[in-house]
Amino acid sequence: MYSMSIFYDAIAIALRSLAISGLATLLASTWCVPIAVKLSGTRSRVGKAILGILNASIGLPTVIVGLVLYLFLSRAGPLGFLRLLYTPYAIVIGQSILVTPLLTFLMADSLSHLKDTILELAYSLGATRRQAILTLLRESLPHIISSMLVSFNRAVGELGVALMLGGNIRGLTRVMTTAIALEVEKGEFELALTLGGFLLLTTSFITLLIRALRWRK
Amino acid sequence: MIKLINVSFSYGEKNVLEDINLVFDKGVTVVLGPNGSGKTTLLKVAAGLYKPSRGKVLIGGVNIWDSPPETTIPIRRKIVYVHEKPILLRGTVLYNVSYGLKLRGSDTESSRRKAMEILRRFGIEDLAYRNSRELSTGQAQLVSIARALAVSPQYLLLDEPTSNLDKNRRAILEETIRNLSDTIVVVATHDRLFAEKFPRKIVRLENGKIVDRA
Amino acid sequence: MITGKNSKITIALVLAIVSISLSLYFLQQTYSTKVLRVSTTTSLYATGLLDRLADEYRRLHPDIIIQFIAVGSGEALRKASRGDADMVLVHAPNLEKQYVEDNTLVEGDIFAYNFFIIVGPKEDPAGIRGLDPLEAFRKIYEAGIEGRALFVSRGDESGTHQREKILWSLVGLKPSGDWYIESGSGMSKTLLIANEKNAYTLADTGTYLKLKLEDRLPYLEALVTRGDVLINIYSVYIVNPEKISGVNYELAKEFKEFLVSGEGQGIIGSYGVDKYGKPLFYPATGKKDELKKQWLKITEWGNV
Repeated sequence: MYSMSIFYDAIAIALRSLAISGLATLLASTWCVPIAVKLSGTRSRVGKAILGILNASIGLPTVIVGLVLYLFLSRAGPLGFLRLLYTPYAIVIGQSILVTPLLTFLMADSLSHLKDTILELAYSLGATRRQAILTLLRESLPHIISSMLVSFNRAVGELGVALMLGGNIRGLTRVMTTAIALEVEKGEFELALTLGGFLLLTTSFITLLIRALRWRK
Repeated sequence: MIKLINVSFSYGEKNVLEDINLVFDKGVTVVLGPNGSGKTTLLKVAAGLYKPSRGKVLIGGVNIWDSPPETTIPIRRKIVYVHEKPILLRGTVLYNVSYGLKLRGSDTESSRRKAMEILRRFGIEDLAYRNSRELSTGQAQLVSIARALAVSPQYLLLDEPTSNLDKNRRAILEETIRNLSDTIVVVATHDRLFAEKFPRKIVRLENGKIVDRA
Repeated sequence: MITGKNSKITIALVLAIVSISLSLYFLQQTYSTKVLRVSTTTSLYATGLLDRLADEYRRLHPDIIIQFIAVGSGEALRKASRGDADMVLVHAPNLEKQYVEDNTLVEGDIFAYNFFIIVGPKEDPAGIRGLDPLEAFRKIYEAGIEGRALFVSRGDESGTHQREKILWSLVGLKPSGDWYIESGSGMSKTLLIANEKNAYTLADTGTYLKLKLEDRLPYLEALVTRGDVLINIYSVYIVNPEKISGVNYELAKEFKEFLVSGEGQGIIGSYGVDKYGKPLFYPATGKKDELKKQWLKITEWGNV
């Protein structure tokens, strides 16, 4: 009993997923890029320790991030006055925190191969500190984009944060993963399968993009 | 004038430069020495890229590791160091050659004009719109030297500039260096034949020490 | 003059800004000034009744958006007490009682009811078909111990799980062992697990009927459907605005009135008839006094 309305529902949910996880990745980049620039190729003990912690927390269970943030954003919690819980923006924030270790680590790792050479080249041609870092960012743009795509894939496919912070509210915070979970819960597989297909399409497309970027550079 | 006073440099335990006293002034100075003798480090220290472990580096009389950026940036902008292995940025040859000018605040139009002029002087203007990744090593070397010259530096430090160049290009390079009458040029090389083309001042470096000045 | 490279950057920038603002607009348009947040139980939400009610309500009040957060009854109540919902729709009287007593939830009302049923494999290895519910539980326990039967428990502090625990305590038994499986999932999944494993379970009529008629439970049958202890009462509460700040009391009150109004009750009583041949829920109108008594009785069992 597959109807067009299921397909339209699925499209709306998929678009919402893309918007939320896309914004989350962009938001995370605003702090991950500077941290990565700072940490890549670091020789200081503190820097190495931070990188180690980031690396270890890449696989952070999404439910833990979701739970901790839920307690913060809940009306009884310290950030409750923001009234962000069960809004799309709560998911955006949650996912941006979720992907921070992965995004920072990936970027720091790929920057470390370029950092010394590019900074030295920029300085040798008279760059200021700021100009040198901008040059470094320009040179590593393909790496930065591919790290962002990897992080986006992680965000769009996660369930814990979206469910706990978003609440799977119809038309508001229902994203692909939470909708699939609900439909399976209801024992209805049509929408779940359609969304599963979309999710697979999205992540495979992103993976292909990443490969194309890696191949080009 | 670049003045190195009692300069030493070490990587961890390893001393790369030991107690160097040296002055680079008007004309061409050749630093001659075998691979691993510390030539690259010496040039980078002189260019203000590496901070010496001990000693002072004075560029135009200013200690660049002991002054605020407002003072050192204008001074650093007069010095260009050219790597032995050419490092080119993503993008076209023209972008690379105009890069230094843009750092100095030139607008796109005039820095491109200047860059084209330099490329023409090197006889490689046909490469202008090629992607920097598609160049041969020799072409890349020439582009990175052109990039350095584009900013009309007061000090030009060339690290093994001939290592990737064929005979014709060496001749172009030799000619170019000879014509830089107002620039203080330092050439580090292991190539005795090339060094002897500039016999005015040759400094021989071995194991991080100056063994001979001519 | 726009050069090749600059135009690329410009295009990228424009695309980025357009997609960010489109995303923000897309997420924003689902907002409204008036939002009522209702925490509820998965079993109730999964039947689709609540979305149906909300759609109808939206038609009458286009400026109000009702958002359902579906979790287990226990969690739905806890969320409300943390201030994360304005209203609760639940079916766990003995849990509800605590929140009513400490004044977290106010203006409670019963809006619907149906019956829990004991479902199990067609072959009925424990022999409970048609028995009294408590007798049936005793038999399942015996068969379980002897390794002839399995039982799947929700194990998630939901209303259904609460009732199951009450039934075990009423027969004075403490189930445990390999035969007693805790699914930790919602009703539908628990039923699907029971179907796969040929096990008994306690279910609400709504979810069971829906899955049964969709032919997803071919190996299960409703074996015990009668008995006072099986009544399943759905209540609505408003979170006390005097105790918890920021509660949208006015909206909650309006929606509550809609639920118990003739119109709301009509929708509840007819929901699912077209699809399943009989209603999934019965409206509480006209039976309130009887249901209240039953409700109190359940809370007393809870203290056993």
